[in-house]
Amino acid sequence: MKFLPYILRNVMRNKLRSIFTGVSIAVSLFLVTVMFAYVNMQDEMAIESLKYARIVTTARQGLTFPVPIAHVDKVRAMEGVKTVVPLAWFGGKYKDDKIPFAQFATDPAKVFDVFSEFTIPPEQLSAWQKDRTGCVIGEKIARKRGWKVGDKIVLKGDIYPVNLELTVDGIYDGPSTSDKEMLWYHYTYLDELLKQARSQMAGNAGTMFVKAERTEMLPDLMRRIDARFANSESPVRAMTEQAFRQMFTEMLGNIRAFIRNIAIIVVAALICVTGNAMAMSLRERTREVAVLKAIGFSRLIVLTLVLVEAVVIAVGGGIVGVLAARGLFSFSDLTLSGIPGFSTFYVPWSTVLFGLALAAAIGLASGLIPAWRAAQVSVVDGLRKVV
Amino acid sequence: MIPVKYNIRSLRTRWVSSLMTILGTALVVWAVVLTFGLADGLDHTLAVSGEPLDLIIMRKGATAETNSIVNEAAAREMAALPGIASDAVGEMLCSPELVVVVNTPRRGDTGSGNMILRGVTPAAQQVRTGFQIVEGRENRPGLREAITSKQMARRFEGAGLNEELDVFGNNFTIVGLFEAGHSATESEVWTDLEVLAQTTRRVGIRSSIQIRANSADDAQSLSDRIASDEQFGLAALSEPEYYAEQAKSSRAIKVVGVFIAVVLSVGAVFAVANTMYGAVASRAREIGTLRALGFGRRTILVSFMLESLALCLAGGALGCLAALPLNGMSTGTANWVTFSELAFTFRFGPWVQVLALLLVAVVGTMGGLFPALRATRMKIVDALREI
Repeated sequence: MKFLPYILRNVMRNKLRSIFTGVSIAVSLFLVTVMFAYVNMQDEMAIESLKYARIVTTARQGLTFPVPIAHVDKVRAMEGVKTVVPLAWFGGKYKDDKIPFAQFATDPAKVFDVFSEFTIPPEQLSAWQKDRTGCVIGEKIARKRGWKVGDKIVLKGDIYPVNLELTVDGIYDGPSTSDKEMLWYHYTYLDELLKQARSQMAGNAGTMFVKAERTEMLPDLMRRIDARFANSESPVRAMTEQAFRQMFTEMLGNIRAFIRNIAIIVVAALICVTGNAMAMSLRERTREVAVLKAIGFSRLIVLTLVLVEAVVIAVGGGIVGVLAARGLFSFSDLTLSGIPGFSTFYVPWSTVLFGLALAAAIGLASGLIPAWRAAQVSVVDGLRKVV
Repeated sequence: MIPVKYNIRSLRTRWVSSLMTILGTALVVWAVVLTFGLADGLDHTLAVSGEPLDLIIMRKGATAETNSIVNEAAAREMAALPGIASDAVGEMLCSPELVVVVNTPRRGDTGSGNMILRGVTPAAQQVRTGFQIVEGRENRPGLREAITSKQMARRFEGAGLNEELDVFGNNFTIVGLFEAGHSATESEVWTDLEVLAQTTRRVGIRSSIQIRANSADDAQSLSDRIASDEQFGLAALSEPEYYAEQAKSSRAIKVVGVFIAVVLSVGAVFAVANTMYGAVASRAREIGTLRALGFGRRTILVSFMLESLALCLAGGALGCLAALPLNGMSTGTANWVTFSELAFTFRFGPWVQVLALLLVAVVGTMGGLFPALRATRMKIVDALREI
């Protein structure tokens, strides 16, 4: 600790160089943090979703096959089930924006029981429940598009051969890890339109979201749901919401690995440039290091002094970069709208800590060679050296 | 003008510092080139997939085959329309197809992806340019046999030659590998139309009909005719139109690429500036001498700018070279329009390389400018007095 003032004075000796090194680390770590956040956030949200004790039931053949609406009531009658709603992906166009946000046909009476973390003013909820062609939208779409209660939204069907004419009855909000970019409307409205159009797609619940009474019941309940329909015309596959979200993340395929690799390249580049800066400043201080040793400082202390100096610069830059990334999500939108599971973006604290640890590691790695060389300098040569 | 040799020698004298800077720049350029290479590959795959005379007929409003339903009777009527090309033996180039998305585990322990399984008749090969079986044989009608591309064989469990692919609990044997001119078709598995219809309980249902028109005029009149027929409710898109929509997904990667490029360049500018400031500071006496010999301020400026540029260009060239071995490496990510995995290869086309070198030139100029200006502002007397 007593060396700290000396180290800080060394950091500030060539202010321009330290600042440049710091800025270089800050912007690069900003990038690495944002990239890692994208990957980690998906995982964190998936794990987070476990506490809501929800099961997602799709057709056994996958999401593109329908679950019949009749299944919903059958599951509702099962033991351990709190509530069930259908959630049919509409995937319509708004004006010419293809899939501008996620749109689901669901059951207005129960959907807020299943997604209990979402909040909506009670009068808006009851207004929506009474309005057959009404919908509720997430706070984020409302903000993005400037929509208010009472606005009309027309959605052109892509998957379904019908168009929806909806009125915004309410705006829901929720915690930062939840998807605030969905639109929910009455399942019965969609089904009536499909029947009028004599479409084969009527009676299709899309997926079922099941809320269990307790988290511990999930494995058993999933097994019973699977077994209940195993021999029917439409067998299903039940999975935890965590597994369901994981499926979307996995669909990104190699892009995830790619993001990780780019981050590794950036870190390697940072070690090069920071190491260079440290080597330059020590070269200028060769004589001073020799003096330090001449007056009795051990090799270990000289080594430590240089390493700490490198870590101070790197972490200083790191704090700026990582916190900037953390701050970014509050005023900008880095999401893939309309793709389920990708409509929120935030930097988890775990990623912030990881970024700071990375900064410290970069400092250590980049200081290693200059520090070792400084420790090796012989007093006589060092004092004689002209830089 | 000061010979460039002087700068190159200077770089060589401070070789550790130069090498670190070159390496740092090279890694940055590498990261940027890889990202743009990803976008270029994705674009290329979707671009070569479109043949203007080929039309895809789907349900009106559907934007992907995976969302479209066409009944068998309508499909038969399509084959009789005038303007469709025919092959050497007089068969119409009209291919009814059924598309199913199958969630399949990826090879290695890397989760699962959505695979497109296409049920076809022999006509399907004729409406695809460059289609040929390269290993094994064609699948026989009526049997649970399938063919696929080498890319898919590598990426998915059970998709290799002579392996068994699990389709909703039914095993399909892979009997052949095909090529299709690096188009999106190489992201698919093909089997017999009727076999797939029975396996997935979709007898009598088609997803799309692919036809080849005789000429551009015929293509236009065919699509007008199909669009105007209210009874069928179908629409025809030319392949380039169809894939242009999906190519929009590469936009997200390009945005990410530009983001990465900009952030990393800012970091690199500071790193290069650091190195050049170091170079100018440690060569103060040399600069003084040059000035005393009669070299003007502008000459000094140019000389140091060239040094900075040389440093960065060396890094840029190294980064581009390091990326080249990855050219053609296959990778894959989600195609959110068809909700399935699209396999493609990294491609470093000319614009990617030009962009990378442009980036390097900007970094070299920006990073070198202020140190070079400092060099020109030195007073001769002070500079000569420096140690």
